[in-house]
Amino acid sequence: MATDTTHHHDDHHGIAHTASIKVLIGTGSTLLLLTIVTVLATKIDLGPNMNLALAMFIAVIKATLVILFFMHLKYDKIFHTVVFMSAILAASLFVGFTLMDSGQYQEANIWDPNSPPRAPVGPRPIGG
Amino acid sequence: MSSPDVPSGPPSGGHGPDDHGHGHHGSRFIAHHYDDAQHQFDSGKFGIWLFLAQEVLFFSALFVAYILYRHHHPEIYAYAHSYLDVKYGAINTGVLIFSSLTAAWAVRAAQLNQRKLLIGCLVATILCAFAFLGIKYIEYAHKVHEHILFGRYFDPCVSSGGRPLLTKNNNCSGHESTVVWDTTSARPTAGCFPDYAVDHDTRREGVQASCTVNEVTVKYVFSWVETEAGPETTSSPYGSLGACREAQQKKTDAFKADATKKRTVNPCVEQLSPPIRAITEQCPEWMPSSAGEPVKPKYPCWRPGFAPEVCRLGYSFTWMDGTTQRFGGPYPTEGDCKKDFKTKEGELKAAGGAPPAPCVRSHTVGVIVEYGDHEHRPSDLRITADCKGPPPPPPVEGDPLADTQQRAELGKAALSPYKRPTAHDAKEREAAGPPPEHTSMFFTIYFAMTGLHGIHVLFGIFVFIWLLVRAIKGHFTPDYFGPVDFAALYWHIVDLIWIFLFPLLYLIH
Repeated sequence: MATDTTHHHDDHHGIAHTASIKVLIGTGSTLLLLTIVTVLATKIDLGPNMNLALAMFIAVIKATLVILFFMHLKYDKIFHTVVFMSAILAASLFVGFTLMDSGQYQEANIWDPNSPPRAPVGPRPIGG
Repeated sequence: MSSPDVPSGPPSGGHGPDDHGHGHHGSRFIAHHYDDAQHQFDSGKFGIWLFLAQEVLFFSALFVAYILYRHHHPEIYAYAHSYLDVKYGAINTGVLIFSSLTAAWAVRAAQLNQRKLLIGCLVATILCAFAFLGIKYIEYAHKVHEHILFGRYFDPCVSSGGRPLLTKNNNCSGHESTVVWDTTSARPTAGCFPDYAVDHDTRREGVQASCTVNEVTVKYVFSWVETEAGPETTSSPYGSLGACREAQQKKTDAFKADATKKRTVNPCVEQLSPPIRAITEQCPEWMPSSAGEPVKPKYPCWRPGFAPEVCRLGYSFTWMDGTTQRFGGPYPTEGDCKKDFKTKEGELKAAGGAPPAPCVRSHTVGVIVEYGDHEHRPSDLRITADCKGPPPPPPVEGDPLADTQQRAELGKAALSPYKRPTAHDAKEREAAGPPPEHTSMFFTIYFAMTGLHGIHVLFGIFVFIWLLVRAIKGHFTPDYFGPVDFAALYWHIVDLIWIFLFPLLYLIH
């Protein structure tokens, strides 16, 4: 059985960190509160981009809380953080590079108001 | 992976023969190839973190699809999220967060050897997972019912649901009417126009009417008469015109072979089920006035880019019978029209009249129905509408509609060359229009993301039931609680993904 730990923490018990009830309840209620905040935040019009940014900001805070406390990463080995953050980094690169390139494959929409594209020949009135 | 601050176990090659044979103290679940409980726990934890990293990458593919599509088509997201109910999404977020709390608490209970609390927490987590899937079921069932599905199954305008956006009455807001209405004669009048020639304003006064959209299936039948005065027999319906014609040809050939009696086989005609009248009624506006000149219709009809086949187009020709213009057709194909045209031409020539005007595409009274993404409607379906027009306006002195000259003016304005819609028009339509094209893509992404997430929840239920069984058996002890911890970690990542899915799918501004 381990006699030493990475983090000398009061809550440490046995072979791994034990979360205190205070931390568990605190994290859970903060997450629920932030969920309500996210829903309410959409009612305020900050422009579509700002609203999205705000919603994502809150989501990141919530995710961080879950990872740090529910998933014990704060008290866990640093290597697990490295593993998880590399996955996040890889995913960001994936998203980032795809977005960077995405403009290249859109159909060019060239519109000359002086010579609009010729409309297809459609139905005509009888005898017309 | 060995951590320097885990002192237990020999530094290298710690699997000496002495270590085998369960010489450890503590739980009987410590496998003999581990040095001790700590070693087993750390190995398992490292494994689950690698799995979680993989999960992040796994879901990131769907997030990329989401981000890319949103980047290029923000209008679809702005429009489509109104189909989702924030209430259900928010409740599910709360349920998942609570279950995450109970899962984390279960780990604590296992660590502290609180067996009853552990069982309680596991049961609570399982119940929350079922609640989540139950709410998902309500949401999915609603969407199935409303045809708000992925790909070509996204078809909200024809659904029979009760939501204001989504009724069979084609009440996609702003598009209550798609029929051209003659207020003076209180009946629909419009034909089809090429879309470059129409005024795209659907909210124009006088053009609106309230329509109930119907679908009819189109089959083809032909009939024949056995004897000269015998009863007419109708063939069984055929799915396509080609199949009908083939059968009709066979019948004709069979009759030809037996020339003892005179028999007639009529050509294939459409059989509409249920039968409808309006669509086959010839548009009166296209009929010539008494002066013999064609009259332009008063109003154009709305013809969206992704219109289904609503205005039946056919081919017809005209000829003069004295001072009256007569009308032949409509024929479904140009060939049919030309055949009859030739016959008529011969007749007229023999009678010494003027030759008929050649076959042109003709128009039948059509109701233009605005559908959602509709490229995949089966070809044997035809859409019709029963329309109630606005009440005719009270007759006023100098009614512009009574004046033929004025009428032509109105028509001209309506048929003015197509103007490119402004940004404002786009906004207006976004607010009140039909679903933007390819709205189904949102739901494809929605179902892929929430579906994959739901599968994870389902898998979590199995894992937690397994944990519950083991907890009841008393397998978990302070030195053996790895499975609880690892399953809880998995459950937290499922919660984590939902934390992002909820605002991204439900809370689009």
